[in-house]
Amino acid sequence: MLRARELSKRYRQGEAEITALDGFSYDFPPGATAVVGPSGSGKTTLLNLLAGFDRPTAGEVELAGVRIDTLDEDGRAGVRLAHAGFVFQSWNLLPTLTALENVAFPLLLAGVSRLERDRRARGLLERVGLASRADHRPNQLSGGEQQRVAIARALALEPTVLFADEPTGNLDSAAGARVLDLLLEHASGERRLVIVTHDLDIASRAERVLHLRDGRLVRVEDDAAI
Amino acid sequence: MELLVLVWRNLTARLTRSLFTWLGIAVATASMVLFLSFGEGLRQALAAEMGNMGPQIRVVAQGTDAFSPPLPELPPEMLGQIEALAPELGIQKVIPAVVMFRGGFDPATSFLFYGLPEGADPRDFYPPARVAAGRIDPHPDGAVVGAKKAELNHLTLGKPLRLSREVTVPVVGVLEPAGSMVDSFIFVPMKTLQKVLGTRNYGVFLLQLDPSADVEEVARKLEAAIPGIDAQSTTEALKFAERALRIGDLIRFGISLVALVVGGLLVANTVMMSVYERTREFGVMRAIGARRRFIFGLVLSEALFLALAGGLAGVLAGILGSAAINLYTQQAVGLALSAVTPRLALFSMAIALVLGLAAGLLPARNASRIPVTEALGRI
Repeated sequence: MLRARELSKRYRQGEAEITALDGFSYDFPPGATAVVGPSGSGKTTLLNLLAGFDRPTAGEVELAGVRIDTLDEDGRAGVRLAHAGFVFQSWNLLPTLTALENVAFPLLLAGVSRLERDRRARGLLERVGLASRADHRPNQLSGGEQQRVAIARALALEPTVLFADEPTGNLDSAAGARVLDLLLEHASGERRLVIVTHDLDIASRAERVLHLRDGRLVRVEDDAAI
Repeated sequence: MELLVLVWRNLTARLTRSLFTWLGIAVATASMVLFLSFGEGLRQALAAEMGNMGPQIRVVAQGTDAFSPPLPELPPEMLGQIEALAPELGIQKVIPAVVMFRGGFDPATSFLFYGLPEGADPRDFYPPARVAAGRIDPHPDGAVVGAKKAELNHLTLGKPLRLSREVTVPVVGVLEPAGSMVDSFIFVPMKTLQKVLGTRNYGVFLLQLDPSADVEEVARKLEAAIPGIDAQSTTEALKFAERALRIGDLIRFGISLVALVVGGLLVANTVMMSVYERTREFGVMRAIGARRRFIFGLVLSEALFLALAGGLAGVLAGILGSAAINLYTQQAVGLALSAVTPRLALFSMAIALVLGLAAGLLPARNASRIPVTEALGRI
């Protein structure tokens, strides 16, 4: 489950106080939810708070049944490892590790044995169509391939929530479409995908779209409306 | 892909920088090993030397330290005093001797003459002594030369050896190399040396004890019975030497500390730079779910790995350097003056590790404390 209650984030910038997010409440249902809005509308801040990268100034976040807004950094990292996966716009992979090792990294953190890590990571790479690229380093892969490795890594511990921040932002349309298909494929059953984007075509593939403006949730469109 | 693999990948990804740092630590450790190997070498040489000494006690004028050539300050009647006490104290043999040192900065210009009384020869002083050419007894009017001294000064049988303007003696014997200080000695009859020095006094009495005698006790009793003397046992001499060596060790360690600190700063700099460059990587790791401890351990391991590898190379280089030094000192004075003992090797490794630890702590702490959003550039 993923739920936010009266979520707010305010920063001080010199004398001024900036409200990046203002009283956001939403209970994310299973399936894909897109978050759209212009630059500065609070999309990235929202994702930071939902994923526990940052703590809210006020409000609550519940991820997989845990109130992560009350946890310290290591506590939130533990919840993330167990229940969440991430795909960012760029700079996703650890550059000194091969594709296979990158995918196996969360499994290493979770204490999975070496053989099992290897087996599961290979299976995941196969799923994203990159079995033959297992031993390549990120700099030997194309942007689209890197993003698919990142997806494989995000899925390694079978998270209940997958967060994606402009996952196709740096890709051409063919590679972008493939990445999006992979992400949506995961958002079935009880699993959730939260995808932040400014691309309305991508948003239209989600089952519902949240519109942010000036840090506030201004509109929710569900499938019927799209 | 264990932690060590991650460490290895990160270090090899910036190979030149890592190599230079490794080299810096290696040089610093090697210099420390070499500096301290002198103390260890001297300790070993002294222990071996004392173990091979014939006499267990040397009696010298009060105030003479254990390693200086004693001046001829013991009057002839003192010999009688000691001999009178001999049966009671378990002294088997009393050998009076006179020592003369002509010093120079170069081993080839330094001469240590040992004047032995009639009836005594170099074996009384150093039982393993063997003659290589000529005879072992310098009496009545010759000189028996240690192997190294003979080699350095080209002293062969029959060559004249000038002790003073009036006194010249021929070389009548050359000893076999013993790997000991004896290699650098010249043994002459005591009367000859007393004539050179213009005295009837003795410089030292060398005492051989019954095997059952308690060396320290005999020494204490002698000092109590005869005022104005120091009775020094070999253990005491070693203790004295140990004190002197400790001071030397401290000074040498202090000097090598400069190199070590520079090495430590190198590691700190390398690891700190690599932390700054990898801020984003750490952010990704944290985002995935790595705890602070993991990042801390990763960065600290890099510093420790560099220090460990550098330390190992340094100890190996130190062993090679020490062997090279010994090649020279053995040739010059007949002694191996440098030794890399296991405890020195371990000590050096420990210092290198402490260095790595100290150098890695701050970068590791910094790396583990960057907020995730900042590391990922998501503000």
